Amino acid sequence: MSGKASLPVDEKMATVKIKIDKDAHITVKKERCQDCPTRPCLVICTAENYQWDEKKGELVFNYEGCLECGACRIICPRDAIEWSYPKGGYGVKYRFG
Amino acid sequence: MDKVTCIVVGAGPAGSACAYALARKGIETVLLERGRVPGEKNVSSFVLYTSELKRLIPEFRKDLPFERTVVRTDQVQLEPNDAKALTSYNYQWVDDPLAFTAYRRKFDAWFARKAVDEGVQLISGMKVNNLIKDGDQVVGVRVGDEELYADVVVGADGFHSVVGEKSGLITTWKPERCFLAVKEVLDLPSDVINERFQVADGIGCEQGIYCYHMNDLDVFSATLYTNVDSVSLAVFARLDELQKKNIQLHEQLEFFKQHPYVDNLIKGAKLREYQAHLLPDGGRVKPENLYADGVLLCGEAGGITATVTGMGIPTCLLSGMMAAETIGDAVKQKDFSKRSLKNYLKYLDSTALLAMVHKSRKESDYYASAARLEGPREMEAAADIYNQYWETDVMYISKHSFSLLVELYLRIGQYHLPGLLRWPLTALVKLSRLPAKLVEKIKKRLRKRYYEWKGQPAGR
Ligand SMILES: Cc1cc2nc3c(=O)[nH]c(=O)nc-3n(C[C@H](O)[C@H](O)[C@H](O)COP(=O)(O)OP(=O)(O)OC[C@H]3O[C@@H](n4cnc5c(N)ncnc54)[C@H](O)[C@@H]3O)c2cc1C
Repeated sequence: MSGKASLPVDEKMATVKIKIDKDAHITVKKERCQDCPTRPCLVICTAENYQWDEKKGELVFNYEGCLECGACRIICPRDAIEWSYPKGGYGVKYRFG
Repeated sequence: MDKVTCIVVGAGPAGSACAYALARKGIETVLLERGRVPGEKNVSSFVLYTSELKRLIPEFRKDLPFERTVVRTDQVQLEPNDAKALTSYNYQWVDDPLAFTAYRRKFDAWFARKAVDEGVQLISGMKVNNLIKDGDQVVGVRVGDEELYADVVVGADGFHSVVGEKSGLITTWKPERCFLAVKEVLDLPSDVINERFQVADGIGCEQGIYCYHMNDLDVFSATLYTNVDSVSLAVFARLDELQKKNIQLHEQLEFFKQHPYVDNLIKGAKLREYQAHLLPDGGRVKPENLYADGVLLCGEAGGITATVTGMGIPTCLLSGMMAAETIGDAVKQKDFSKRSLKNYLKYLDSTALLAMVHKSRKESDYYASAARLEGPREMEAAADIYNQYWETDVMYISKHSFSLLVELYLRIGQYHLPGLLRWPLTALVKLSRLPAKLVEKIKKRLRKRYYEWKGQPAGR
């Protein structure tokens, strides 16, 4: 089976309610990403929150749109991603989990 | 400085079951949950099997929030151009349901409410950040800037367990020990669901879908469950495989939805909510790492879950109940040391939990090592596990004398023995309705052998 994904991830994300905290629950030691050979966070994140910024030549991410699966934390081969759940009461709010 | 007898971290099925059982024993219990309401952080597919819940709350059906009662299970084998299904009905479930489709948001809130009704103090919107220790003894938790003390802390905080990691009992899960899941809840009118899934109002079905050659993933499966006016569609893959092959799971979900079999069932449905969650491969935590001074792990936090069988919630719930039994004894003896909490293993062993979890682990090792199982076999194996659950209530091994025999047969006999040996064994399993005393004896011996065979110490 092939073809392009029919529903892009930002349309999926539009269905998710999130209460955004002003403090980020994700921090990245970006210097460690520079020579990371695979950068698995880019494909693993189910919300495509990690992107490689070609211009800046660094990893950019958006903690606000996090689904809190924590796959990035498990997959990072450089221990660069510090991820913990958002502060109590903040973050994703599934209505039909 | 506040102090209670017991703090349970996490109001999922494991935590609420534990807190409920503790309160029934009159033990002062605080249940901490990071969501503003229990359930809003959690994702399952979600079919709830209720044998264990019934033991804890016999009258649970009075107000259980559910979607449809499940009377049919389909094991579907999907290849790019065809689909085969193995369908099992259980008509008895129409009047006496065993399984229900539901939403975690409602179920978890209901379950925690039940615990509160028994006297548990639920504090939600609070995330535990760390443990407080006195030497080796865990004596409390840190929530933001606040501290809360207790004789014993139960870690029921699921996959990314703060209690597990900070107590040093577990380390972060490795990618090869995890499954990633993405799920969509899709709107479909009730009558359309009835027609497409061939079910009636209030009655639903669950479909386990095993996918072969659908994409580049060796391990890729899905579940499709019917709610009242929506269906829940989830796909699962191993995290390490996604990484190695550079594959986005949510993109695979989109391809999967284009398969004619799936498309026919969900076409025209609108996305209601998108979700993602990780699952551990159950049984990867050594039993001796489930407890330490002043702390116990239950549910997914301790890997006490049977991932391959889809029986996560019942196993987690039961382990919460067993943790409460252990704490009940500890309170009586006023001893919360590791030595006293070791009783947890005895309680876990009094159910078939550890064996079940271990079985799930073997099963997934088996899948991984066989690279790609032939479809029918995997389906048969899954169907067997389900049937075993339905027929023998497999979690309660002590009440069902034959399950170890059945288990041995399923694990060794089924695939690896030549027919000549297999058939007599089948007969034996079927005929083994022996007197209870004799069965006890055999069971003991078998259990010893079984653990030896599994490479675990028998006298645990
Ligand atoms: C897609 C998917 C489908 C599934 N389908 C099924 C199914 O159909 N049937 C089934 O039986 N099982 C299913 N499972 C498995 C099931 O969801 C899990 O086994 C089960 O939820 C684990 O229960 P638990 O109580 O151990 O942990 P959880 O349900 O994860 O509960 C942990 C709780 O602790 C809270 N918490 C976490 N950290 C903290 C902290 N630091 N402080 C305070 N609170 C915290 C969380 O918010 C959460 O409420 C599925 C899993 C997935 C991912």
